[in-house]
Amino acid sequence: MTDATTAHRAGGGLMPFVRRYTMELILLALIVFLIFTAPGFASLANTLNVLRTVAMLGIIAFGMTAVIIAGEIDLSVGAGAALAGCIVAWFGVNYTESWGGTAALGFGFLCALVVGFFTGFMTGKFRQWFNVPSFITTLALFTALRGAANLITGGFPLSNLPPSFGFFGGGYLFGIPFPVYLFVLTFIGMHFLMNHTSFGREVYAVGGNMEAARLSGIDVWKVKSLTLALTGVLTAVSGTLIASQIGSGTGTTATGMELDVIAAVIIGGTSLFGGKGRIWGTFVGVIFLGCISNGMTLLNVSEYWQYVVRGAIILGAVLLNQMLDRSR
Amino acid sequence: MLDATLPTDRGRLEFDAVSKAYGPTLALARFSHDFAPGKVHALMGKNGSGKSTLVKILAGVVQPTEGSLRVNGADTSFASPHDAFGAGVVTVHQELSLIPSLTIGENIFLGRLPKTRRLGVTVIDWARMHREAAALLSEMGLDLDTHQEVSTLSVGQQQVIEIAKAMSFRPSILLLDEPTSALATREVDLLFTLVRRLRERGVTILYITHRMNELFQIADTCTVLRDGNFAGSIDMAQATPERIVEMMFGETAKAKRPARQVIDRSGAPLLDVKGLTRNGVFEDITFQVHPGEILGIAGLLGAGRTEVMRAVFGADPVDSGSVTVNGRSFQRPDLKQMKEAGLGYTPENRKEAGLVQILSTHDNLCLASLGRISQAGVVSRSGEQGFVDRQIKDLAIKVPDPLLPVSSLSGGNQQKVVIGKWMNTAPKVMFFDEPSRGVDVQAKRQIFDIIWQKASEGLGAVFVSTELEEVLEVADRILVMRQGRIVATVDPTEITLNDLYAICMKDQT
Repeated sequence: MTDATTAHRAGGGLMPFVRRYTMELILLALIVFLIFTAPGFASLANTLNVLRTVAMLGIIAFGMTAVIIAGEIDLSVGAGAALAGCIVAWFGVNYTESWGGTAALGFGFLCALVVGFFTGFMTGKFRQWFNVPSFITTLALFTALRGAANLITGGFPLSNLPPSFGFFGGGYLFGIPFPVYLFVLTFIGMHFLMNHTSFGREVYAVGGNMEAARLSGIDVWKVKSLTLALTGVLTAVSGTLIASQIGSGTGTTATGMELDVIAAVIIGGTSLFGGKGRIWGTFVGVIFLGCISNGMTLLNVSEYWQYVVRGAIILGAVLLNQMLDRSR
Repeated sequence: MLDATLPTDRGRLEFDAVSKAYGPTLALARFSHDFAPGKVHALMGKNGSGKSTLVKILAGVVQPTEGSLRVNGADTSFASPHDAFGAGVVTVHQELSLIPSLTIGENIFLGRLPKTRRLGVTVIDWARMHREAAALLSEMGLDLDTHQEVSTLSVGQQQVIEIAKAMSFRPSILLLDEPTSALATREVDLLFTLVRRLRERGVTILYITHRMNELFQIADTCTVLRDGNFAGSIDMAQATPERIVEMMFGETAKAKRPARQVIDRSGAPLLDVKGLTRNGVFEDITFQVHPGEILGIAGLLGAGRTEVMRAVFGADPVDSGSVTVNGRSFQRPDLKQMKEAGLGYTPENRKEAGLVQILSTHDNLCLASLGRISQAGVVSRSGEQGFVDRQIKDLAIKVPDPLLPVSSLSGGNQQKVVIGKWMNTAPKVMFFDEPSRGVDVQAKRQIFDIIWQKASEGLGAVFVSTELEEVLEVADRILVMRQGRIVATVDPTEITLNDLYAICMKDQT
């Protein structure tokens, strides 16, 4: 009865380790490869640059991981990030004079958070009340939110912002880009939430078997809605950082970001069928994507080839995870 | 002369010492019988009697390990469902196989839509398809538009279309596997009219059912299987329900059950259900469960046993009535509240509804009690460990590693995990819905022992099983349900299995 499992555990020596840490090892190999081949990859400036880019993506990806584990999806995060940036910028542009920069931008940020929470939560509720899949609702939001962002800006970047605002996206604290701190904080917070709270356990249960979770007395819709709302909030944070970094609120920023976010989650081993995935995996996934993009740019790979390579990587990662699952 | 004898054999179905073994288990043991052509033959037997094996052999799904089969007077063996079709034996399975979003016509001719060539391209000949489908329906006396989508039909009409589809293959022998299990009375009449019409046209019909009253309405003969053996065949003109039940169960005495404590019903009940009604599903359900009592609910499939339990537990809505748990009264049971009030429920479909298969045994055991385990919403493996270990020890769950997915456990052990999950919530009343389904004999004993043990510690329990023997063995008191109503309350020590079965199957007039 225990034969199969003990044999698997005891035997093989190195193999179980390789199986368990496949993605980590591949990332390590990639980094080593880039250090030796890509000029300037290992430089401090470049490393910090990669981390900054990764941070914007990663903050959202951690929320998305919870959403996908709960068996849902959010396609609206790119548009949501743009909208959040525009909301903050709009308050910054219009109220800095009367309220002062901190109050105007702070209030704008608060509004962006509320909007993010609300759109996410309502996506869950639409599923519950009208049986509209989150794929559809967020596809609608994908266009609607970007439209809303452009309505706020009137089609032009809102760039007359207080200079101090640039710190959040572009500044450094103790020599490290400020977004990286938020990235690490989000990672720790989400890791704790998913692994050490009853809410996290419920997310896994709801995504793994909704009916079994419901019959265990778990409020499955609340759980799903809250993961979507959480992602909305994290999207607002990331959108604000992006606006700060580029110094303006623009309706066209973060185009296609949702695909990178979902790709990072999937590369990290989270199953689109729900119930399975790790925040740590997503951490590896975003770093991996960041290194690939940066490495290819440094190696002068044409932009068009970069798209092709990234596509191949996403497919390859899923295939790899499927195979690993089967061998486990 | 030779030609004259052949037509009389059309529709004849003969079994000669047909056996089917699954490993060491003999599902069907040397079954021999001659089903006369042009009649409706009922096939009866309790679960595990070999009925479904017989159906599968005739449908070509499984092959007999021994014996031979003669269809239409010719020796035959079916290597696949395709062979069975070819020989003119068509089966209508219990589960409907229609595609709801397609029309009646498309469903009937699915996979063999008539084609025609237009402008050099092969296309579907819709006109011909609907013409032929309509002809088939009118031939069977059905007045339905073949352009109608199947999803707009009632379950009874769908069942009829299923039979029409089967008849489009022009079979000489038609197998109907529990065709009425999902039908309302009015729709059963529709089906019976159709069956009689087919009989008039000389089709031999094998009719599998659990419902005694239907036999007398529709069948010409009744053949009974018991534990894989041929238990007898009787002409319906000479049959009585008592005789058929006797054939099904043999010489059974009262079920054996261990000595039980006396239930004190003088105090307040743990669970008090009053007039609970869900329109169209069950009506005016009233019962009490006292501390230490195991209440059995008996009834045929579809009698409403599971539905009542789920409603009391708050998993399904109710229209009226009330549920009182441990003194707290609820008008509209809500699952979360019922859990907090002290109810627990192990569902009948353990795999789909009882466990999250991809999560570990550890996580599954904690699933219903996270609120109890966590401190301010925070949980830790070490905090959960006590809850996990206690159930594994207490219920003797055989689990090599609790952190591996629960799907790796055997059926019996998975069932124990479901029970353990609820024991961690310290329930007052547990609902056990088919806890012995799909588990081996030894695990079944252990599960019953657990139920008895918990009851002796003061737990109230409601126990449901399709196997009436089990209900008799496990319960202290039995409610009998029929068509959504409680029709009798019996004492298991004072009733025989045959009598209980008779109450469950009794005609509704």
